Amino acid sequence: MGEKRERYQNRIELLQGTLDLLILQTLQWGPQHGYGISVAIRNRSGELLQVDTGSLYPALHRLEKQKWIKAEWRISENKQRAKFYQLTAAGKKQLTRERSKWSQLSDAIAGVLQPEE
Amino acid sequence: MSFWRRRRREADLEEEVRSHLEMVARESVERGETAKKAEQAARREFGNVELVKEVTRDVWGWRWLRDLADDARYGMRVLLKNPGFTIAAVVAIALGVGINVGIFSVLNGAALRLLPIPRAEQLVSVSQIFHRRTVRNTHGETSMFSYSEYLDYSEHNHVFSGLLAYEPFLEGTLAGIKMQQLLGTATSCNYFEVLNEHPAQGRGFVDSDCAASGENAVVVVSDQLWRDTFGGDPTLVGKKITLNRMAFTVIGVAPPGFTGTEPMPSAFWVPITIQKVLDAGRDRLGDDNMSWLALLGRVRPGVMMEQVRADLGVIAGRIDQLNPGRTTSLAISTATFFGRPEERESLIPVAFVILAAFGLVLLIACANVANLLLARASARQKEIALRLSIGASRWRLVRQLLTESLLLSMLGGALGSLFAFWSFASITQFVTSHLPHMFSTLAVNVAPDFRVLGYALALTLVTGILFGLIPALQSSRLDLNTALKEDGAKSGPGKKSGRFLRNTLVGAQIAVCMILLLAAGLLLRGLYYAQTVDPGFEMKDVAAAFLYPKAQGYDETRATAFMGRLRERLAGLPGVSEIAQAECAPLSHDFSADYMTVPGRLDKVLIEYNHITPDYFSVVGIPIVRGRDFGPDETEDAPGIIVTESTARRLWPGADPLGKTLRQDTGREYSVIGVAKDAQVSHLGDVNAPYLYFPAGPQDNVRTYVLVRFAGSFTPVDKAIREAVRLLDPDMPVDVVRLEDYLEVWRSPSRIVAALSGALGVLAVLLASIGVYGMVSYSVSRCVREIGIRMALGADRTEVMKLVIEQAMRPVLIGGLAGLAACAAVSHVLSSMLFGLSAHDPLAFISVPLLLLLVALAASYIPARRAMKVDPMVALRYE
Repeated sequence: MGEKRERYQNRIELLQGTLDLLILQTLQWGPQHGYGISVAIRNRSGELLQVDTGSLYPALHRLEKQKWIKAEWRISENKQRAKFYQLTAAGKKQLTRERSKWSQLSDAIAGVLQPEE
Repeated sequence: MSFWRRRRREADLEEEVRSHLEMVARESVERGETAKKAEQAARREFGNVELVKEVTRDVWGWRWLRDLADDARYGMRVLLKNPGFTIAAVVAIALGVGINVGIFSVLNGAALRLLPIPRAEQLVSVSQIFHRRTVRNTHGETSMFSYSEYLDYSEHNHVFSGLLAYEPFLEGTLAGIKMQQLLGTATSCNYFEVLNEHPAQGRGFVDSDCAASGENAVVVVSDQLWRDTFGGDPTLVGKKITLNRMAFTVIGVAPPGFTGTEPMPSAFWVPITIQKVLDAGRDRLGDDNMSWLALLGRVRPGVMMEQVRADLGVIAGRIDQLNPGRTTSLAISTATFFGRPEERESLIPVAFVILAAFGLVLLIACANVANLLLARASARQKEIALRLSIGASRWRLVRQLLTESLLLSMLGGALGSLFAFWSFASITQFVTSHLPHMFSTLAVNVAPDFRVLGYALALTLVTGILFGLIPALQSSRLDLNTALKEDGAKSGPGKKSGRFLRNTLVGAQIAVCMILLLAAGLLLRGLYYAQTVDPGFEMKDVAAAFLYPKAQGYDETRATAFMGRLRERLAGLPGVSEIAQAECAPLSHDFSADYMTVPGRLDKVLIEYNHITPDYFSVVGIPIVRGRDFGPDETEDAPGIIVTESTARRLWPGADPLGKTLRQDTGREYSVIGVAKDAQVSHLGDVNAPYLYFPAGPQDNVRTYVLVRFAGSFTPVDKAIREAVRLLDPDMPVDVVRLEDYLEVWRSPSRIVAALSGALGVLAVLLASIGVYGMVSYSVSRCVREIGIRMALGADRTEVMKLVIEQAMRPVLIGGLAGLAACAAVSHVLSSMLFGLSAHDPLAFISVPLLLLLVALAASYIPARRAMKVDPMVALRYE
């Protein structure tokens, strides 16, 4: 356990619930498999956000169960069978909701953190 | 979610994870790492693959199901690996659950099952409860109805397709080659229609059978009576039979197996309107204030119980309004045996005590299995510690251990229930055949139904959790470091708390065992006491003949003439020395009582009384201690009465009772002319109840006991008395017994309860001694090293053994004392079956604990001997 904690020290811990938002957002650019999603999040965050696979897959299955994303088996660009996830109509609505929630939250936090004038 | 979909999902997840790993690996290879290293990196990347899969599965929401299946499979393997433990536990549970399910199926058959008739779920029984103390005539139970009330409910309700009324327990004398006393039923004429039981031959009653009263004597006989008494005569329908001296035309034979709606089977059915002819001189039919009819209604299809209550409630309210001062409410329930409020009230406490007693034995069995589990848990410490350390949550482990104990309890419960279903029908038959003959025909169906199965299942589950939970919680609370480093067997006498638990369990076992054994001991002492106690009167060589001329249509004058001639004949019999008559024979369960006032005092005293002829005291050997006996021609017209010594002491303490007066409610006054010695003539074991004697008059001849003191053997006297009665009136039934025979009726309830609690007690002792044995042998095996050290340091073998036994006896003594105290606190509930023996009888309270102590000593001595044989060298070198 101790070792694990050390390994994560130089990364930013994801806030509870933000992973769902990131996944939905990533899928907005088109269907993607689990590995692709984690790579996309890593790259777009400038290597700062590393999605733990132990969180990624439960999150994907949870979103699927909520019918916000759907999955199908396809052949990847590397000629490999992989499970691709894509946004559903409900998922798109959910993404909008989550985004506005997130911008409210970050505005609020920014307001709190602003140095007093 | 279906099994196949689950399987596919599982494979899906597997492939998804694999493809992820491959992609990670490919990327590493592309970055120029070796394939093997890349794969390792990928796995590291993915963290614990199994854990990820498990967490992901959680999302699907059926993890508990898979876990359960896993646990069950694993539990089964563990149980199969320890056959000795498994068999011991399963047998203990099977015994405990089995007897509990058995006794429940008996109670279920007696009081919960629906009546054994077609579509019984539609039938409801209706009773009324009187709230204000009103004067109400009662023949049967107060909650019953009068005929006019029945007609009111029957005509004005909107919820029944039919409402029937019947008078249960109608006594009838069937004349024929051999006179027979039968129990029958007087019913409203829709009886067979409403019950949907149509006679197998002939017809049931029709309205015209009930139209005129006393003229149209018709009867339907039971299938059994038809077979046994009439030899299955195919032409019986249409013939006449004689019941209580009246000719009845047989119009039908009831369907086979139909015995009415009371637990005691009915042999015949007559129209309700014949009542006043059949029971000469008593007109219950016309008495609007007489409780004598039980009501059963068949609810119309689609009508709810609430509607029934509301509809009948309106009628009850109207009847209340018409009768100022009367407030009643109705008790309406699905019809079962023992369904009337009075019957329920007397049955429920009995059932509760019985279930509690049987439950106690199950508790002992549970404690035993819990102890076994605790002992085994410490042997499994290492396995559990290992599982905790590789990440199993405590809750998960507790669940695993609980699954194991539930498996055990299921096995035991199934085995025990099968045993109960198979054996309790014959056990019930055995017990009822040993009851006094009036109960022997009770129709109890003990076959299992959904209620019994539900009870068995619930009991099994509760049992499994009861004995499994504490050991599971206990053994999953481990200090990983010590548990993994040390081997369980080396760690001395076990952890403190574990040992405390085990001791508590053994103590509880002994306590429960003590309660059961003490109850059995007290009852056995009571029985012995009843057999040897002096009831205060002479019962040897006295025959009692019961005659009821009134039931045969005799009036007072004819009955007096009849009795006069009978007594003459009896006096002439060889061997007969004295004859007396009494309203109630001693201990015959025939009681009369009345409220009396002592002039000058305000309160009324309920006093039991008897009407006797002058020779009574000398026939039953009760001496007159003061005053005089009744004179030969003294009747109740004279104001003289005789009271017992204790009555005199209670009513006129310190004064001379002779000449004192007592007043009846009617205003009549009586004065005391004599004092008789106290005797247990009314209730066995009770000398002190107020009791007084009136002189018998002609009115007492219509229903009387003739007491005959004889010399020699009873059989010829019995025969001669019957012959004398037959010569005077061949149709007069007579019941002749020895006075001692009445004792048997008093003793049989306590004999049955004593046998039952004795058997339970033996079972409890057996289980508890196994418990003690197990605890001691376990703690000896844990202490081998400690014992070895003690011996190496010079301890004596006997000293070591003393130490072991002392340790074992501590919980036994504490538990025993607790049980003793608990029993002393509640033993008074048995006092009605102890015949005057104290509920704290010192002999029982000393001998039973001693016996239990001896058993516990023996149970701990055998394993403790093993401690003596410990070789210090071997013990210290061990590991």
